Amino acid sequence: MHRRIARTALLVGLAALVAASCGGDDDDAASSSDDGASGSDEPVTIEWWHIQNNDPGLSLWEDVAAEFEAEHPNVTIDITVYENEAFKTAIAPRLQAGDPPDLFQSWGGGELEQQVDAGLVQDISDGVAPWIDTLNQAAVTMYQVGDAQYGIPFDLGMVGFWYNKDLFAQAGIDAPPATWDELLTDVQKLKDAGITPLALGEGDKWPGMFWWAYLALRNGGPDAMREAGETGSFDSEPFVAAGEQLSELIALDPFQAGHLAAVWDGAGGQAATIATSGAAFHLMGQWAPGTQNANSPDGQGLGDKLGWFPFPAVDGGDGDPTDGFGGGNGFAVGRDAPPEAIEFLEYISSMDVARRWGETNSGILPVVIGSEDSITDPNLQGILAARADASFVQLYLDQAYDPDLGNAINDAVEQLYAGQASAEDVAQTIADAAGG
Amino acid sequence: MAAALRPRRLTRSAHYVVALAVLLVVLVPVIYAVLGGFRTTGQISANPVGLPRPWVFDNYREILGSDTFWRQLRNSVVVAALTMAVIVPCASLAAFALARFEFAGREAVYALFTIGLLFPLTVAVLPLFISLRTADLLNNPLGVALPQAAFGLPTSIIVLRPFFRAIPAELEEAAALDGCGPFRFFYKVALPLSRPVLATVSVLAIVSSWNAFLLPLVVLSQPDQWTLPLGVTNFSTQYSSDTARVLAFTSLSMVPALVFYVIAERQIVRGLASGALKG
Amino acid sequence: MTAERPPGGTRPPPTADPGVVSPASGAGSGRAGARWSRRATIIAFLTPALVLYVLLALVPILQGAFYSGFDWNGLEPLEQFVGLQNYREALADPVFLAALRHVGVILVLSLVLQLPFALGLAVLLNERMRGRAVLRLFFFLPFVLSDVITAIVWRLILQPAGLVDHTLGAAGLDGFVRLWLADPGIVLYTVFFVVSWKYFGFHMILLLAGLQGIPFELEEAAALDGASRVQTFRYVTLPLLGPTIRICVFLSIIGSLQLFDLVWVMTGGGPVGASHTTVTYMLERGFERSRFGYGSAVAVIAFLISFAFALTYQRLVLRRDVAGALTAMGER
Repeated sequence: MHRRIARTALLVGLAALVAASCGGDDDDAASSSDDGASGSDEPVTIEWWHIQNNDPGLSLWEDVAAEFEAEHPNVTIDITVYENEAFKTAIAPRLQAGDPPDLFQSWGGGELEQQVDAGLVQDISDGVAPWIDTLNQAAVTMYQVGDAQYGIPFDLGMVGFWYNKDLFAQAGIDAPPATWDELLTDVQKLKDAGITPLALGEGDKWPGMFWWAYLALRNGGPDAMREAGETGSFDSEPFVAAGEQLSELIALDPFQAGHLAAVWDGAGGQAATIATSGAAFHLMGQWAPGTQNANSPDGQGLGDKLGWFPFPAVDGGDGDPTDGFGGGNGFAVGRDAPPEAIEFLEYISSMDVARRWGETNSGILPVVIGSEDSITDPNLQGILAARADASFVQLYLDQAYDPDLGNAINDAVEQLYAGQASAEDVAQTIADAAGG
Repeated sequence: MAAALRPRRLTRSAHYVVALAVLLVVLVPVIYAVLGGFRTTGQISANPVGLPRPWVFDNYREILGSDTFWRQLRNSVVVAALTMAVIVPCASLAAFALARFEFAGREAVYALFTIGLLFPLTVAVLPLFISLRTADLLNNPLGVALPQAAFGLPTSIIVLRPFFRAIPAELEEAAALDGCGPFRFFYKVALPLSRPVLATVSVLAIVSSWNAFLLPLVVLSQPDQWTLPLGVTNFSTQYSSDTARVLAFTSLSMVPALVFYVIAERQIVRGLASGALKG
Repeated sequence: MTAERPPGGTRPPPTADPGVVSPASGAGSGRAGARWSRRATIIAFLTPALVLYVLLALVPILQGAFYSGFDWNGLEPLEQFVGLQNYREALADPVFLAALRHVGVILVLSLVLQLPFALGLAVLLNERMRGRAVLRLFFFLPFVLSDVITAIVWRLILQPAGLVDHTLGAAGLDGFVRLWLADPGIVLYTVFFVVSWKYFGFHMILLLAGLQGIPFELEEAAALDGASRVQTFRYVTLPLLGPTIRICVFLSIIGSLQLFDLVWVMTGGGPVGASHTTVTYMLERGFERSRFGYGSAVAVIAFLISFAFALTYQRLVLRRDVAGALTAMGER
């Protein structure tokens, strides 16, 4: 008897399989209703995936969602929170399945472009036209593909150096380095003082890419970056020079023990090393303090001891020392998202929400023009100032380009850190990946 | 004789020393994980190797109190149960046929199944994903259980076939004389006789389903559907900065497997032993 | 019979072979009728398993092989046929070749270090010693834990200045401290160690069962004939353990070829791909880079290697045991 039941269940299951494969397109599993025109009375669910998995962001987003729901009683917002890396793994099957969440974390750039080409994200140019100009244009551009808007940023920052003022003082460094050569000298001073100069979580690969990308930007300027993106000319001089300069740094052995396998966020990682004063400084984006604090024994991190300075100039480089490298966070709009999702984006992009983000001083730098003074932390203000100065901001390379090239860049640069490839090799490998 | 005894005693002590050393290497990581859950991350950073001082119960308490752990536990149970419910009937039917009927191509069919042993599931993951997507079985325990059962058939059939073969022909002849057809013989005689090895097959299916990672990772993208291995990995990356909590979660997810193991150990061991050595 | 038959034949003889059975369904009114109902019976018995297996195991594998001929990012329609190019690229990629090498290293080390170790423990547990059952219980324990849990815990323990380093320091073995996970030259061996930690108990149980199937009288007889313990082991025990050992070897090799979960969670295949296996490589270079055609090609290569090995092994090595043990009616 149990055999028969089991067999029936199996046959039913398989029949479903067969029937569905003979069927047509999958109907979308999403929850939104299709005629959004009236919208206001039909119950609508917005599925929202974000990556602010720590406080204050975690609670702030919850509040924002609750507030929007209160204003729009027919709307329910379903929040799913992932850690950064876990998000990348988790979103893939949803995209594969052609069933993107209504709003999901996006860094813009090449990956967004891929999603646009696959028809997974919605063109929201019309929906956001009324208020898009209230946002920082550099940030907004990152979420455009071919002049159409597919997502909205809520954060734009820049990668720079976060340093432990006490440790710098201990090594006799009175001012942060303004040129690359000064930086190398300072690294040596730290070593001489018995302090580990730099923390690096090369196990995640992208922290190491930051160094190389900045050096390339300093050497070649925006033009070289743009050209490489279009023609794959990563084997040109600025990129090779970047590799050589980075090799000089690596030759000084400045990183904490085990950096090749260390993660950014986690036990024994880059953030933890800095937070516990295990190293003097590191190159990281504007979210660094938040993660550092989370990784410190008492949750307080370095407090006042933390300082920030921009990436130094490189003598003889074609780039402008004010050029920025970085990115932010934003949300892309899934193809089947209801119009209420765009309304929610408008709410997220409101001055009030932006100011609340600024006040958390957590590293999220809101892009609503005029909200900048809500940020009081001196380090973050430093970043904001740099952002205002920058005439060009290069998006993270593993985001700016498609995943294949982006990952290839990360992997190639990793070899530089492991001493397994020369600067030319690295440049060539990347050029091949871009061209091939 | 006396001379032979003394080396015996030395070797005997050496045996114990070796056994103890191995035991330590086996147990210390597990104990470390369990104890780590009773500390705070700050304690662990300050002193990676130390006893909880003071003992902190919050980590375990919060996890046990939250939905997440229990939901994932339940999902794991559901998937494992489904896998077993599918594998046992299918495998026993097939193994019975392959053991007791003679027909052209029998060995070929058997070989077809045994070859499945060397299919890494990973080869099939993407096409499976697409098929499951089409059948709308994504984010569904069946979407994990059915492929797992399919890939678990080879081992089960290989273990079951010799047992069915070993049932004496006389029994079957006697049953035939009583008017018992092959199905009834299978159901009323063969299955009950094979209970121990069926238990083994079930246990193997459950253990392998319980620990499965890649297939659930690909099929179950919604967190409320996750099984424990997914939950543990995500927890460890999501709270990567909170080592103590991660250890607590990891330790808790060990418990069901351990409990099950203690209960079923004899079964597993006996099954492995006879399955491998039948002859 | 086979050469493995022990002198004195204390192996229980195989039960009378029941292999040939005609289902006496009683319905058949004549030869044809009986044949059809017999065929129907067989089909009925085999169908559930075959359908499940073919649909959810074989077909996906064939589809995987199909995708491998395309350049496909998984999101757009399957259009760019590239033939064998993905295969050529994989076989020319030093990282993939290194992954193959790594699998080979783990495979060989497992056979040369892990199995003898498991055998030694099995021999140990076979003696009458106190706490034998408890030891057996604990030695098998790691096998029951999932690969994921094993990887997470060990990754923590192997941190610089973590539990392992502290223990070495406490034992005065400071000089042995290494960057277990961060040193590309060592990480593969670290992985091997953790894999062994997890699986040695499994092999030990199999071998122990094999040992317990060897009657004590044989070893006693050898000893009485003047054989030393080593000689007894070598000339009596080991040969009798042959079938079990061969199965352990088979399972160990297959396991090494398919190693994934543990490595992926513990090292991600890194650093710089120094601990990649074929499957972790497939995931990183294929799926994570949205190159599903390429990933499928890698998977097919991995499968072909497993397949070639298994086929060869079955024919050359296991056939003797299989013939002797399972199909007594024989492949005559």
